[in-house]
Amino acid sequence: MAVAVELRGVRVRYGLLEALHGVDLACPAGRVTVLLGRNGSGRTTVLRALAGDVPVSAGQVLREGRDVTALDAHRRAAAGSAYVPAERGVFGSLTVAQNLALSGDAPVDRWFPELARLLHRRADTLSGGEQQMVAVGRALAARPRLLLLDEPGRGLAPAVAARLHGALFELAAAGRTVVLAEQAPLPSLQRAAVVHVLRRGRVAFSGEPSELGPAGGAGGADRTGLSL
Amino acid sequence: MSAGLTARGVVRGFGGIRAVDGVDLAVPPGRITALVGPNGVGKSTLFDCLAGATRPDAGRVLLAGRDITALPDHARARLGLARTFQQVAVFPGLTVEQNVRVGAEQRRGGTARALLGLPAPGRAAARAATDRALRLLDLDPVRDWPADRLPPGTLRLLELARALAAAPRVLLLDEPGAGLDLAQTARLAAVLRALTAEGMALLLVEHDVELVARLADTVYVMAAGRMVARGPAREVLADRRVAAAWGEP
Amino acid sequence: MPGTLDLSIDLALAGLAVGSAAALSGVGLVVTHRVTGVLNLAQGAQATATAYLLRELVVVRNWPLAPAAAFCLLVAAPALGVLLDLAVFRPLRRRDAGQAESMVAGIGVFVLLIGVIVLVWGTTPFGDAPALVPATVLARPGGHALRLDTLVQLAVVLGLAGGVGLVERYTAFGIRLRAVVDNRRLARLAGIDADRISAAGWAFGSFTAGLVGVLLAPLLLLDPYGLPLLVMATMAVAVAARLRSLPVAVATGLGLGIAQSELTRLRPGGQLLPLAQAVQTNLFVVALLVAALLPWGHGQDGPGLATSGGRPGRRGSSAARTACAVLLLLPLGFRPEDLRHALLVPALALVLLSVVVVTGYGGQVSLGQAGYAGLGALGTALLMSGKVPGVPALSAVPALLLAVAATVPLGLLTGWPAVRRRGLALALVTFAVGTALSRLVFDQPYATTGLTVSRLGLPADDQGFYLVELVLLGAGLLLVRSLHRGPPGRALTAMRDHQAGASAAGVDVPRLKLLVFMAGAGLAALGGALTALAQQGFDATAFDPVQGLLWFATVVVAGADSAAGAVLAAALLTGLDAGTLPGVSAVVVGALATAIGRLPGGLAGLARRLADRPAPGLTPLGHRLRRRIAERSR
Repeated sequence: MAVAVELRGVRVRYGLLEALHGVDLACPAGRVTVLLGRNGSGRTTVLRALAGDVPVSAGQVLREGRDVTALDAHRRAAAGSAYVPAERGVFGSLTVAQNLALSGDAPVDRWFPELARLLHRRADTLSGGEQQMVAVGRALAARPRLLLLDEPGRGLAPAVAARLHGALFELAAAGRTVVLAEQAPLPSLQRAAVVHVLRRGRVAFSGEPSELGPAGGAGGADRTGLSL
Repeated sequence: MSAGLTARGVVRGFGGIRAVDGVDLAVPPGRITALVGPNGVGKSTLFDCLAGATRPDAGRVLLAGRDITALPDHARARLGLARTFQQVAVFPGLTVEQNVRVGAEQRRGGTARALLGLPAPGRAAARAATDRALRLLDLDPVRDWPADRLPPGTLRLLELARALAAAPRVLLLDEPGAGLDLAQTARLAAVLRALTAEGMALLLVEHDVELVARLADTVYVMAAGRMVARGPAREVLADRRVAAAWGEP
Repeated sequence: MPGTLDLSIDLALAGLAVGSAAALSGVGLVVTHRVTGVLNLAQGAQATATAYLLRELVVVRNWPLAPAAAFCLLVAAPALGVLLDLAVFRPLRRRDAGQAESMVAGIGVFVLLIGVIVLVWGTTPFGDAPALVPATVLARPGGHALRLDTLVQLAVVLGLAGGVGLVERYTAFGIRLRAVVDNRRLARLAGIDADRISAAGWAFGSFTAGLVGVLLAPLLLLDPYGLPLLVMATMAVAVAARLRSLPVAVATGLGLGIAQSELTRLRPGGQLLPLAQAVQTNLFVVALLVAALLPWGHGQDGPGLATSGGRPGRRGSSAARTACAVLLLLPLGFRPEDLRHALLVPALALVLLSVVVVTGYGGQVSLGQAGYAGLGALGTALLMSGKVPGVPALSAVPALLLAVAATVPLGLLTGWPAVRRRGLALALVTFAVGTALSRLVFDQPYATTGLTVSRLGLPADDQGFYLVELVLLGAGLLLVRSLHRGPPGRALTAMRDHQAGASAAGVDVPRLKLLVFMAGAGLAALGGALTALAQQGFDATAFDPVQGLLWFATVVVAGADSAAGAVLAAALLTGLDAGTLPGVSAVVVGALATAIGRLPGGLAGLARRLADRPAPGLTPLGHRLRRRIAERSR
């Protein structure tokens, strides 16, 4: 499997605290990678480091073998990556149509037909779930080769979330690389190629979902400290 | 009157939303009480009401039976209520020792006497308390280091040392485990247990279930500004509904 | 009464000239702030520089007006804006520098540009700044003269504000710009080059600043202090608009212009007249004070100015102290005319020390220390001249001590606002207080005429007076030292580094802030009083708010928490002013202040880092060898 994007010995500091204490992980090209971990485990920071949203205090970020550690977030985005944060992923003062048009012109109504009737609403007047659809839709509109999503299912109705996860595998099948962060192993993500489990700013487990235990189940999760 | 810290019917709103909506909470001495719940349910607001960073709109906060609702945070600190911050609060312009000393020497009249060139009251006691706190958290070897040269994980311990130097009766800890690796978390847990054994009252706001399960005697669960569950840690954490309320939807 | 109404209309029309310039200033500040997150404190200097450039081209080099104006406004001013963004503000943004550092950089740009202006064009005011649009009377509806320039200015203001609105609403660039305003981080993640949009914001802000300068210059004398200060006071318009709303900015600007004009009719009798006139001519200063004092969202939190260059009692500081002592004792051997210049050094050092205490130790930005220095000077002068009712004319020492003692509680003027404000909001309040003191208190007839300041009761010769100054400076340094050591020093540093943390540790932060501002007011007043005694007269221009900005920048550059640095800076500043062309000192200080991001702790911080560099120790190879030896011996 070719590696689409990779962290090597990455450390990230927020002010005085260190959120990642030297993380190595790789995400295969054209596949779905899932980052698991509890709040504060560093999974969001991993995504931000991949997207260039946070300065890396040590280590390297590699994109298709090229060192992009020093590359600005907007240049990484222009080079074909898109990042959907877990919260506030829309420009509230712009309409839905303007939000989508900012990134690109790929049609998104295939995935989110619900957005068609909301195109002229200001994004900050939408519900949380609708905003999440706009945020993901904005990323898809850019036709990214690398798609980074932080808990994209949060706030979505279960059916919509399942549809979204299906869409992510479709995209991967079409050659795009998908990396998403989740709190807990969801059944609909069983088909993921790789799972990285983060714990206290380090990678605690890397492997296939099946190695985590049946249906992402208790055995493997316990081992990596995932159960409640 | 109970010793420790007690909150009764605390209400605090922001712009029409009641972030904390009539909450009762007891932090008894000699025990570790944990406050858990997902992001944005009012834990931090309640914490600020207890520590004095903000005043409740209604309700009372009692420290060892004394009503401290109207007191600002520095006055509460002088009465023996110490706190730490989620975003670690240390003073980079001071050395490790001076950081801790700040916590030990805040008494009335100190400034005026120092400006007149007189020794501050309780100077020897402050120095002894500083040394004790430094030794307890293994910071003695680095006492003369500038605080901003400490490794990140050690900063939490430094903040804790400063809080302890004031010899508090009640200690409020806001996510003390954030940013610590496994070894540092273990060290923190040991220190917190030792403090409780000496009779200190501890309140822990923490995301890390594991740490809570390992440390807490009593757990309070908060959701949408209210307490939805309370009880012995093992029972509360085993409750399915609590587990469901914990993770973000 | 038709006559009154007619007068009102005429005055309103006249007020539109200043009003539209103020509205423009507000539009420029709001747009720049929305796009870049920075309130352009250098706007007054940018405006003045453009006005000077236009005058130079038209009056001195005889360019025709139209190409000269086009060059100044459409090429030079925007280019300056882009240059500032590239050289000063983009590096700060890259490092996620706080508001305080941006403010210092902005003040640095201000001081630098004023220095350049003084260096190139001198301080003599010019009365012949060219007007862009002739004041031709177009029509007289109802007998009121409707002038071309008024109409053009109004049209420009409304056109620009409306144009900005249209661009933001309907163009792709405008939508990207709004995305950056909305959420800069997310915009960058969406592939938008936020830096380019910021550069465009700076270019636009600089263009409007230039336009403001060019429009205002013909209305008053073109000099390096008055015009920039007036433009800075028009920040009131942007602050009233909460740095967001263009319509509010336009309405406030026009409204204040008209109000200022209408106020000329208010002529209370007797002693109130000068005050009423002062309020009228300085209405924008009053408005800035009011607008900054109203509660607003900016600068309520965020870190104070990180000024720490090191910890007390380190190596390197003893070298600085020795240098101070030598520099201060040197003038005793000077020739009389050189000694006269040196008399200002201890006085200025005390004023700079007041900034060290308030900003360096306490972390509170204070741009108003020149005001307190002026109060000390004016108080001494009034007491010595017997102008204070119920107090006989005093000799120098009691007058000085009484003036200082009276100024200390006035430190609450800025101390009280500081209890609830930080950062930008506090900077604006302190600047407004300093400016209000200068314009409403010092610039009054009672302060400018009939005051005698002598060294009665002090050694009359310069050498003896200099020794007295040194003694007082020593006393000031002792006070500063006691604020930097022991429990108060630790509590102050804690407050500066992490206010909430200090408060949680039991430090009484509000009380400490009041203490710092009162100590600062006292030190500044002592310095001001000594300035007056050294010059044997009260000179209001010595305490101009623009001077205050220069002094603030000087202290930050020297190392805000270094008392020795402040004394050295006072000697250096006085030496530069006496020994080189006027303006050189401002250029030096301004240039260093714009680079403060690369110079944490100022020059003193740099010196400390050099002195503290670890003694040459083991190289990595050495460490490996040592480890291997240790392993082998096990």
